[in-house]
Amino acid sequence: MILPEADGLLAPIMDIDGFRLACLIDASTGMVLAAQQDQADIGLPAAAAGATDIANVLALLNGRMATGESLEDVIVTFSSSLYMVRPIRRDPDPQILLLVILDRLRTNLAMARRSIRDFCVSFAS
Amino acid sequence: MSQVPKLTRARQLAGSVWPGRAVDGYANLIVARLRKLAAAKSTGMLPFSGHGEGGIFLRDGRVVHAESSRTPGRNAGGLAALGLGPAAERAPGPDGPRPLGWLTAVLARAEAAVDAALDLVSSESRYAKFRPDEVPAAGQACDIPLETLLTEVERRRRVLRQLAPVVTADTTVVRNAQMTSPSLQVSALQWSLLVRVRAGATARGLAAELNRSVFGTTIEVYRLLALGLLSAPGYDVKEARDYDVVSFIRAASEER
Repeated sequence: MILPEADGLLAPIMDIDGFRLACLIDASTGMVLAAQQDQADIGLPAAAAGATDIANVLALLNGRMATGESLEDVIVTFSSSLYMVRPIRRDPDPQILLLVILDRLRTNLAMARRSIRDFCVSFAS
Repeated sequence: MSQVPKLTRARQLAGSVWPGRAVDGYANLIVARLRKLAAAKSTGMLPFSGHGEGGIFLRDGRVVHAESSRTPGRNAGGLAALGLGPAAERAPGPDGPRPLGWLTAVLARAEAAVDAALDLVSSESRYAKFRPDEVPAAGQACDIPLETLLTEVERRRRVLRQLAPVVTADTTVVRNAQMTSPSLQVSALQWSLLVRVRAGATARGLAAELNRSVFGTTIEVYRLLALGLLSAPGYDVKEARDYDVVSFIRAASEER
């Protein structure tokens, strides 16, 4: 992480049931700014890079479709884990992304999504 | 005193830098020099001259600042350019700035340093004698472990290698007179880049105008190429090939 002093900002996310990993990513460069990890078995660089690629592809899709909308969040469901990607601030030009990886068997998706949304609102307000 | 000639010793040090990489590049010698300074917990500046001029500043072996003549410095626009006041420098908390304001301020410093370090390590610059005790001005400093910086620089080099067949920081781009789609949506940043594209425009020049990182601007210029709003010599969005797609995950997969 390029800004380890920012790791503590992610502490509220660690309280979500089933938490495995959270990180803040600079969307324009793909650089990981800060991270918190419950288990060492997740490759942080690959996870962050994948999340940034997803956000960038959706930005390209949005550009081509000219929907006039902005990305709210992305939820990816794997057999045993959930990936959530959310711009910290909802604007047409999101600079910082939040990636959260959760254990699917221990997570209530609706509650987790709400917690992440509230975290982003308080982070950016 | 070591009996190993100085150049050979430097190359031996460089051999452990990025395994599998040929040890004939000057970039590896720079990395080896930086590692040696970090191991000695040095404080001061390693100056560079040649293709890009600048310096990498260390404090107790950690990188606190870097600047290059070929990348915009943080001070060109400063926090005011980000819409942030001096209060954003303080740590977030009940009496301090909001987390996002603080993070944006810290990121601005770190991004400028990483961007400059990428340029110095990747260009044909040569390092000169280390200048102990030369430290950056107050308010400029970040605090990045050297290994973290080198990992990030190498990741960015892999991304730039993907982009190289299409666009580099110094590729001249032009605005397309006709759009390939009936309607397109661009971000505020993309719009601010588009309106600044004039004759001879490059990502590096646009980055300097906007006081943004050259690396980030090069990626954004690439996205405008992919949208068909810009053109570069030899690149036709209609004939774009698979390898034209920039992918951070592919860059991460190439990690050695």
